[in-house]
This record gives sequence, structure tokens and C-alpha cells, in this order.
Amino acid sequence: MNETELIAQAAAGDSDAFGALVGPHLGLFFNGILRILGNRADAQDALQEALLGIYEDLPSFQARSRFSSWAYKVCVNAALMFRRSHARIREDSMDALTGLGEFDDAGHHLDTATALSWSVAAEALDEAERRQLRECLVQALDDLPDPLRVVFVLKDLEDWSTEAIAARLDQAAATVRQRLHRARVRVQERLRAHVQGRPS
Amino acid sequence: MKLLPTCREVRERLTDYAEGSLSPRERVRIWLHLLICSACTAFYRGLRALPGVARFLLPPEQPPPAEAAQALEGALRRIQGHQHL
Repeated sequence: MNETELIAQAAAGDSDAFGALVGPHLGLFFNGILRILGNRADAQDALQEALLGIYEDLPSFQARSRFSSWAYKVCVNAALMFRRSHARIREDSMDALTGLGEFDDAGHHLDTATALSWSVAAEALDEAERRQLRECLVQALDDLPDPLRVVFVLKDLEDWSTEAIAARLDQAAATVRQRLHRARVRVQERLRAHVQGRPS
Repeated sequence: MKLLPTCREVRERLTDYAEGSLSPRERVRIWLHLLICSACTAFYRGLRALPGVARFLLPPEQPPPAEAAQALEGALRRIQGHQHL
């Protein structure tokens, strides 16, 4: 059975067809939810709710978009709903803008020796080094206060516009940009320290 | 206001700069600073590269993790439970 047939069968109430339909995309869906929630147990619960939402909304699915793209959006929205009702909001030290570097009294930087672009170095990594950098990134995202992480994920990983994030999270666009910047600076500092072999 | 902002001022505003949300005057001040400051330029380049690097480093897990399969099993149980009511 091809995907179009699976969609029709699942929309008519065939749960086996639904399992076959979503099965190939489970990793994608789980990953998207996990990025937002930052906790595997929460991600499992939110994915279950998202899958039920997909099943219920299948009769209204329009074939104009790809099934996986449509269902992925349902998953991201389910994660945001789950976050709003369950998430442990960690706002600790959210205002501290660390990771900018060291400055002298006049506000000019002191760290010219370590200012080389870590991102250029990151591109030249072999497989093992890339795995280590991935672990560093996962840890850096996990350590972000929740309001910073969700903005970073929606903007830099999911490619939402600042205006869409502001509307979805009910925040001013300026707040979104400020939180995004704080998140980027912290994540960049962790990756840069890792690439340069410094403790972060 | 000095024509050139300090490195600290620049680094605090680089996402606003990249998003085009600064006034034209502020934008020019930061642009001039970046023109002559290699450290802040490297910092800015790193911030601009971050989304691409993060997406590159975080592809979906394959095969799907056990939690995803368990979520599907749970969803299917609830669907089938509803159908038998």
C-alpha cells in the first residue's frame, strides 16, 4: 500500500494502516518534540498525544502538503502545548548574558587570541569529533533555561520566523530576539570552548 | 553617543543587527565596528553559522528510539480502545 492509500485507510479508522503510515517518520517526530521539551520521557508522552491528534485530524488532511511535513507541524504544536501545561520552566539566570567574552573597562575585548571562528573549525571535524560536538550541543541546549531553548529551537532548528514565534508564544518580537540572542551566545560559547579544547 | 560602539555593545546587539531590527544609525555604527574589529567579526560569523551547524549536528535519530515506538504503541492502544467502546 502506498502512502496515499495508507492515509485513506487510516482516515477511515484502520489503526494498522495508521501505524504503517506514521512508522517511517517516528524518528523525525520524536526528534522535533525532544528538541523543544528537552526530556525524553516528556517527549514520549507528547508524541503519544501528537499521534492521537494526527489520527483525529487525518480526515481533514489536504494532500497539497506532504504528509510528513503536515504531521511534523502537528508534533511541534503538540510539544508547545505540552510545554505550556507540563514543562518545568527554568528561568534561572536567564538575564545574565554570559559568553560574550572578556572586556576591558572601556568595553573592548581582551580575548583576541581565542576569537578565531569556531564554526570554521567545526566543519573540518571527523566522525568521532562530530559526535563529541553533537553531545556538547545537546548538553548546551539542555542547560539553557526553558524560555531560551524553545526560542532557539523554533528559530534556528525549525526555521520559524521571529514574528511566528512571537505570536505562538505570546511574546513581543523584541523579547524573542533578545532571548534568541542570549541562547545563541551561550550555545556558541559552549561549542567554541569545546572546539578550542577549553573547559566550558 | 560615540560613533563607534564598544565590543561589548556590539556583541549584545548582533542578533538585532542580523535581523534588521535596529535603526539605520545603529546599524551603521555596528557595521563600522565590524569593519575594523576582527574579533567581533569572528564572533558575528559564529552566530550566523550557528543555525546551520546545529541542524547539521542534530539529525533525527535513526532507527527511531524506543520511546518513539512506545508512544506509537500507546496511541494505537488508545485508538483501538476507543473503537471498541
